[in-house]
Amino acid sequence: MAGLLTIILALGAVGLFLALPGGQARAVRAGQIGLAASGVGLLAATLGWLFPWPGANFFAGCALVALFAAVRVITHPRPVYSALYFVLLILAAAALLVQMQAEFLAAALVIVYAGAILVTYVFVIMLAQQARPLVHDIRSHEPLLGCLAGFLLLWSIAVRLFAAPVPPAVPAADLPAAGTVAAVGTSLLTTYVIAMQLAGLLLLAALVGAIAIARRRPLRDPLLEGEE
Amino acid sequence: MTNQTIQRVEGALRNPLVLVGVGAVLTVPAALVLVLAFPLYRGLLSDPFWFPLLVMAAVLFLILNATAVCILAERKIAGFTQDRYGPNRVGFWGLLQPVADGLKFLLKEDIIPRRVDKPLFLLAPCLALIVSLVGFAVIPWAGEVHWPWMEAGTTVSTQVARLDIGILYVIAVGSLGVYGLVLAGYASNNKYSFYGGLRATAQMISYELPLGLALLCVLLTTGTLRLEEIVNQQAHSGVWYVFVHPLAFLLIVICLFAETNRAPFDLPEAEQELVGGYHTEYSAMKFALFFLAEYAHMITGSAVAIALFLGGWAPLPFTSWLADNTAWWAMLLKFGVYLLKVALFIGVMMWVRWTIPRFRFDQLMRLAWRSLVPLGLLLMAAVAVLTLFGGQRVWWAGLGVNVLVLLGVLWWAARSKQPMTGRQEDLPPVEFGAM
Amino acid sequence: MRDEDIIVLQEPKLSPAERLYLPQIFDGMVTTLRHMFSLKRRQQVVRQYPEDTRQGRGELRIANYRGVHRLNKDAEGRVACVACFMCSTACPAHCIHIEAGESPWPDREKYPVKFEIDELRCIYCGMCEEACPVDAIELTPHYELVGRTREEMIFDKEKLLQVFEETKHTKPRKDPPITDYGLTGGQGKDVASPNVERKV
Repeated sequence: MAGLLTIILALGAVGLFLALPGGQARAVRAGQIGLAASGVGLLAATLGWLFPWPGANFFAGCALVALFAAVRVITHPRPVYSALYFVLLILAAAALLVQMQAEFLAAALVIVYAGAILVTYVFVIMLAQQARPLVHDIRSHEPLLGCLAGFLLLWSIAVRLFAAPVPPAVPAADLPAAGTVAAVGTSLLTTYVIAMQLAGLLLLAALVGAIAIARRRPLRDPLLEGEE
Repeated sequence: MTNQTIQRVEGALRNPLVLVGVGAVLTVPAALVLVLAFPLYRGLLSDPFWFPLLVMAAVLFLILNATAVCILAERKIAGFTQDRYGPNRVGFWGLLQPVADGLKFLLKEDIIPRRVDKPLFLLAPCLALIVSLVGFAVIPWAGEVHWPWMEAGTTVSTQVARLDIGILYVIAVGSLGVYGLVLAGYASNNKYSFYGGLRATAQMISYELPLGLALLCVLLTTGTLRLEEIVNQQAHSGVWYVFVHPLAFLLIVICLFAETNRAPFDLPEAEQELVGGYHTEYSAMKFALFFLAEYAHMITGSAVAIALFLGGWAPLPFTSWLADNTAWWAMLLKFGVYLLKVALFIGVMMWVRWTIPRFRFDQLMRLAWRSLVPLGLLLMAAVAVLTLFGGQRVWWAGLGVNVLVLLGVLWWAARSKQPMTGRQEDLPPVEFGAM
Repeated sequence: MRDEDIIVLQEPKLSPAERLYLPQIFDGMVTTLRHMFSLKRRQQVVRQYPEDTRQGRGELRIANYRGVHRLNKDAEGRVACVACFMCSTACPAHCIHIEAGESPWPDREKYPVKFEIDELRCIYCGMCEEACPVDAIELTPHYELVGRTREEMIFDKEKLLQVFEETKHTKPRKDPPITDYGLTGGQGKDVASPNVERKV
């Protein structure tokens, strides 16, 4: 199993490397084929896990959409489209979370990422738009290292994950209501209260820092000063 | 058709009796089919999966048609406030104006300018409409219903999706609404459209904050995010949350105006400054989709506000009449009450639109960040303290807190030297801080 | 500019309620509500156009309304224009096209062989009327100007003379009709035919 996974992930990494912007058109096409093969292979390899689940088809479909969107985020030469594919990725991920009974997390993901952060991204990208595409838009930076790092990360996670025994199938009705707002809130304010407070503190510090950076100072106009 | 025929038909349709007759010819057969086919779909009505789907279809049908009626209502109200008649030529009292408008939109030339970003240009209106329509899924239109042929004690819900996250779903979907506008502005390759898109982004992000804060005030009282339970609480106790949290209601209404881009917050499409804002380059049906999206958004927004503050389907405040009644006639009554409330709410939105002039952009931002966000924070803190000390047991405690906060704001306003009406302040020349 | 000339205005002090901005909004909404239900005012103000016109209400100032042009005829039924090109020179929209020919009549040198006005280009400013030395071109109170093609909207000499026939009863030709460089001493005669008395 681990060997098969390694092959699939390596295929994906090579495909991604070829598909990244800046290469030959033929290599890009080959990379896309490799990526598609890798995605389908990954799905096929994990079907054994997925099948006992109710709604596995839907899950697999959302997962494929998420994979496709994720690849397009880094391979699309135009930043606005990248940001929009990121939105698609977020939505697909939210759908996956809903499938896993984590409705609150899904809603939070959409509100925070798609609704706020990515809107700001799109805003900034549009403001900073150039007449011609820039070098860093049409050529990816350090594609080899990036793909290698991604491959290593995914590989380690996947191998670790599949080393564990296949969990028994659980009907949806019997799943613990861990994803409900009440459950998430309770665990946030009991088990993880310190972590949450720390995160809040960190955000506050970031906020103060942002204000400090963005603060405008009165301009010292040398001409005006000369007059007085 | 010759001109004379057209004129004759037009003249006939301006007779109310003819209009009623045409309406009857169109609707009576449909109603007959519905009645005669009743045994066929009886089972579907009591099915917990199919019934919400039917409700969804009915509501969607209703909303899309209501949008057309809304446009007529808007033009009528605009006319009346300005001492005019509004549209009164097509059909009796202008009632067929929506039909004429729709036909015009369908038959007009659909122009895609040459240098637009075509995929995004086509995607934007669809996105705008989809986002404003999916919000309906969690609206509890008429509570539970028990059909006479069902087993005793069982009911089906008129709510399509009974989500645990209820109101969060609405917010999540609503926060995606900005993409339609931004993409339209960007894809049009037109600087005025672009400004419209930028304004929409800044405005919607800013006004989501006070919206969320005001929501939290209510959620502290309800203790649940489920819209159906929030409505149930209000219907049973008879205390609509507008009486408990009037200031939060005010905040929500203001933010609703901003989120739906209605006057006085319609800066993204400010005709006098930006030609048409984000939809300058759109024509025919794509333009109509933006129109549809705006009105559908208004209907969703007001439906949510009504569920949260105005008792949802509860017909009267301070009684629990109909609260536990699940008969089919009660369901229809509740549905009617809900729609009536939505209609009134939208009427008020139109009334405001034709009364208040548009904000300037700096006034818009100042209102959000200097007035609404602090007020929301203050309210939320006050309600949280109240909840902590068990003050939610009597409903007027929340009202008292609101009055106190209002008095505090008045006191502060009396002391403050800064103009709050948004007059232009003198800003010293500035530079951006060292990056 | 001296210092005394500068008037420093103070912003009026606002009451706390005014600072909240909301009472003012409600005030405004009451005002619009009043207008919404004032049927009487609506009936007084609005003209339901095709049925109810300004002309029908007697509100149209016929003497100085600037609608469709006409070419006047003199007392003998000839076109009054002497093809001097003053109007087409004065026209800011360049919508008047004249072709002059030698006059068949002994009392003038030229007459317009062709006289066309593009009613779609015209801005109805009335400069041609002011420029005309013989009061031949005039604007009429007729404003319902429609057509199916652009060509149809270019009025030629016949059409413009036709407009005169249609409107001469509502707006008679000016009396005296002449601005004749002092030739006739401002008497009621056409410069084109100084010996004929004009019948009004």
